[in-house]
Amino acid sequence: MRMRFALLAIALTFSITAVAFQAQFKQYPGEEDNPTAVPSGAFERTEWTFARLKYPSGRYAEYAQERGTWPTDFPKADRQFLQGVRRLTRIHTRSTEQVIDLETDEIFNWPWVYAVEVGHWDLTDAQVKMMREYFERGGFLMVDDFHGTYEWQVFVASMSRIFPDRPIVEIADQDPIFHVLYDLGKRVQVPGLQYVYSGRLFEKDGIVPHWRGIYDDRGRLMVTMCFNQDDGDAWEHADNPQYPEQFTSQAYRLGINYIIYSMTH
Amino acid sequence: MFEFLFKYPLSVYQRGHYLLAGPWPWWLLVLLIAIAAAGLFWNARRHSNLIPRTRAAAIWGLQTALVALLLLLLARPAISVATLRPQQNIVAVLLDSSRSMTIADEGSRSRFDAASRLLKDGLIDSLGRKFQVRLYRLGADAHRVDTAHLYVPPDSGVTRIARSLEDIAAESAALPFGAVVLLSDGAENSGGIDFETIQRLRQTRIPVNTVGFGKEKLSRDIEVEDFSVPQRALAGSRIEARVALRQTGLSGETARVTIRDGDRVLAAQSITLNAEAAAVPLIFNAGNAGALNLLARVDPLPGEENTANNALARVVNVSARKPRILYVEGEPRWEYKFIRRASDDDPQIELVSMLRTTPNKIYRQGVRDQSELEQGFPTKPEELFGYDGLIIGSVEASWFTPAQQDMIREFAGRRGGGVLFLGGRFGLSEGGYAATSIAEMLPVHLPAAGTTFQRVYSNTELAPAGMDSALCRLDDDPQKNAERWKKMPEIANWQLVGDPKPGAALLAEIIPPGHRKTPLLVTEPFGRGRTAVLATGGMWRWQMRSDHTDKTLPNFWRQMLRFLVNDTPGTVVAATPRQVLQDEDRLPLRVEVRDKNYQPLGSAVVQAHFVGPDGLSDTLRLQPAGGEAGVYTADWSAPRAGAYLAEVTATVNNAEVGRDVLTFRRNDGVAENFRTTQNRDLLERLSKQTGGHYYTPREARHMTDEISYSEAGITSREMLDLWDLPIVLLLALALRASEWLLRRKWGVV
Repeated sequence: MRMRFALLAIALTFSITAVAFQAQFKQYPGEEDNPTAVPSGAFERTEWTFARLKYPSGRYAEYAQERGTWPTDFPKADRQFLQGVRRLTRIHTRSTEQVIDLETDEIFNWPWVYAVEVGHWDLTDAQVKMMREYFERGGFLMVDDFHGTYEWQVFVASMSRIFPDRPIVEIADQDPIFHVLYDLGKRVQVPGLQYVYSGRLFEKDGIVPHWRGIYDDRGRLMVTMCFNQDDGDAWEHADNPQYPEQFTSQAYRLGINYIIYSMTH
Repeated sequence: MFEFLFKYPLSVYQRGHYLLAGPWPWWLLVLLIAIAAAGLFWNARRHSNLIPRTRAAAIWGLQTALVALLLLLLARPAISVATLRPQQNIVAVLLDSSRSMTIADEGSRSRFDAASRLLKDGLIDSLGRKFQVRLYRLGADAHRVDTAHLYVPPDSGVTRIARSLEDIAAESAALPFGAVVLLSDGAENSGGIDFETIQRLRQTRIPVNTVGFGKEKLSRDIEVEDFSVPQRALAGSRIEARVALRQTGLSGETARVTIRDGDRVLAAQSITLNAEAAAVPLIFNAGNAGALNLLARVDPLPGEENTANNALARVVNVSARKPRILYVEGEPRWEYKFIRRASDDDPQIELVSMLRTTPNKIYRQGVRDQSELEQGFPTKPEELFGYDGLIIGSVEASWFTPAQQDMIREFAGRRGGGVLFLGGRFGLSEGGYAATSIAEMLPVHLPAAGTTFQRVYSNTELAPAGMDSALCRLDDDPQKNAERWKKMPEIANWQLVGDPKPGAALLAEIIPPGHRKTPLLVTEPFGRGRTAVLATGGMWRWQMRSDHTDKTLPNFWRQMLRFLVNDTPGTVVAATPRQVLQDEDRLPLRVEVRDKNYQPLGSAVVQAHFVGPDGLSDTLRLQPAGGEAGVYTADWSAPRAGAYLAEVTATVNNAEVGRDVLTFRRNDGVAENFRTTQNRDLLERLSKQTGGHYYTPREARHMTDEISYSEAGITSREMLDLWDLPIVLLLALALRASEWLLRRKWGVV
């Protein structure tokens, strides 16, 4: 009996200790889109890391089927981008990403999150409510890699449920988000890897790139959308000699600007 | 009784010098006593076979004492004492004619009537037989009156015993005052009798004899004894006030204390009365800019004898100025975002921030123009001292030059600003601050460098000193506030900052899992300013882990920002110790003038322009105070009751150095409502320290003889015999009778 109590106490102590720490790095074997070796320092506790949103694709899973579209480019894009963030800024970040599952409330520990292929997301009512609360508390979302009319409609279908009352607008070139670290008043369309094979900058009917966003009442961006672009691919293929450096550079700069903006506004 | 036994008043024995007036020298008296004692001893030994030794010793002792007494009387003991010469000295009779003397607590009569009756029924006559008597009415000062005007009902709104006695002391330079007789309830309401006044009276050697009137304790009363509140505050700030209460006969009852501005209740609290004195801390919001006319009030309790002492007024100047705070952050982190957001919602504070985004890039926010901080952290004092507060985040000490480190220390020490240090990866110990001049200004003893910063979620709680701090107030109710701190989400990280220094206030603590508690928030006054350490950069979880409608984190940060700048002085600071003049007109004004580097400026022209009730307008030039560089003082007289505003400007060569605004009030008919019981302690101390005596009205009838013995005025020295005191005869008889009774009891004749 005494032994049982002792074991219970030890288990309790461990669980309390676990709760007291930042959520730790975890691998997702079978769900990784572009697997890569786990770098050293994967479990370091840091101020920031690349927080990838794990959302459901539901009705719009299509090619991704059960796995969904959330792990597109994962985890290579995340880890290569993190290398850049570590080298180019004073942000204290670890070498690995953090997957944020919308089935938990872990998102509230990560005020910056990234979601890819949101032209295939399909949030539940509870997730819509949670995301709205997240933004109202001060959270920031960067969405990327969605193209053309159809994917925009799918994205807006969930987004407009989060913010039925807030418009999606083009972010002006002079907005601080384009100048907070790098001056990105002039930008180019960042294509996906398909550019290497097709020479096309766009996918589907998404010919014109857009940098759009949703502002709060005090003029601060809460959601940023890299529409008709694929910054994730630019990070993922930064080490690919065939992928043009020009696009990778802008993707890094833009991503870093978005992070620093979210940490300052 | 004393005089019956000892023939002379007690004061004679206290003031006189003792001597032997007979022809014998003192040694002869001692020798004779010794011979007599020896003879009696020899006689006792002769009969030692008749009685036991102890009984023989007792009889010998009594016989020796009697013989010694008789020999002493033959040597003619006497006392030499200075006495006032009849009709050549003046006795000043001061009758308190302030309104508190109208309180009817001397039987069925008022204090004033009882004092008048004492004077009319013989005291003035008996004094008049020995001295010239001068009559004075005592109120704001002492003014001489004739008998007809002495008994006019009390009309003075104040009692200033000290000032009145100083008037008498001044007159004594030209007139032979032998003594002062003060008939009063001791309800002095100008802050007591200061040491200088007592010293002046002692120099004149005039004894002040006091006669006390009034009850020494009311049976049921509660009084607002003091109401302390800062003289100035920023619009929208939380103000900490303290209401001191004193009660008698109300223990166990509940009193409700409120602070009001007009009809608006700003704060309220109920307390159970236990001790005689209690202090009630209250916190309220300063609201918009302007003068805040506050009234601290305790609701009257059933059967209270005096309800006019249940409220006290104060004025707070709520300023519309927009202080600027410089926040230096060494790395992008979430706390920065939420501090900026808190300041964005505060129209009263300008937060200027510089963030090191990369090793060689600084992102600036809140700057007035592109030139502000363009060259990085200020290198000149006048540039840094242009800010009112300073926050040093997670930035290495080595990022600042030694000169900049000294400037940061002087920012609090000389400029008077508030400096906050945040915990972080590069902050405090890990940033190398322990080895810099900045360590001196920190409110904690930094631990030696090592791993002091931990990214471990931890709970927080208030330390005892934080319970009453406006800085830590998350809820208006003190109890709920303490609970709220415990229930707040865990903070994201914390840093070991060491123990608080002596004099520092530990306001809140971190409870890290598996560790002992460690300081979270410590504050300390430093020089003219203040410093604080917040040992975390992870308060942001309070916001991200709470509902978006919960404004605890922005409120906490707004309070912190205001703490840094609320009391930061400008180059010109006007102050007065009396922002509410209670039945008095004298306003002492003190202005401190400094240059851009906040060095004292002694060559300024300082003027105060007063605006008061009924269109009153006046200008006064202040003079440099001796011994204090950059300080200018003056007294101004507020002619009537009402609200006043003083605008103080300092100029050098016609160029303005700075200006400040001071608000104050004069309230009449208030002071006499407070401390209405007889202040016997004050009257007794006054008498004792001046060589006089305190009398109750009954004892006072006999004071004439006693005050004859005084060193003041025109005196002659008198020698009074002591051999014929009734007590001596009684003592001799008692010794003889004791011996006879013992002998009879023991059967030895």
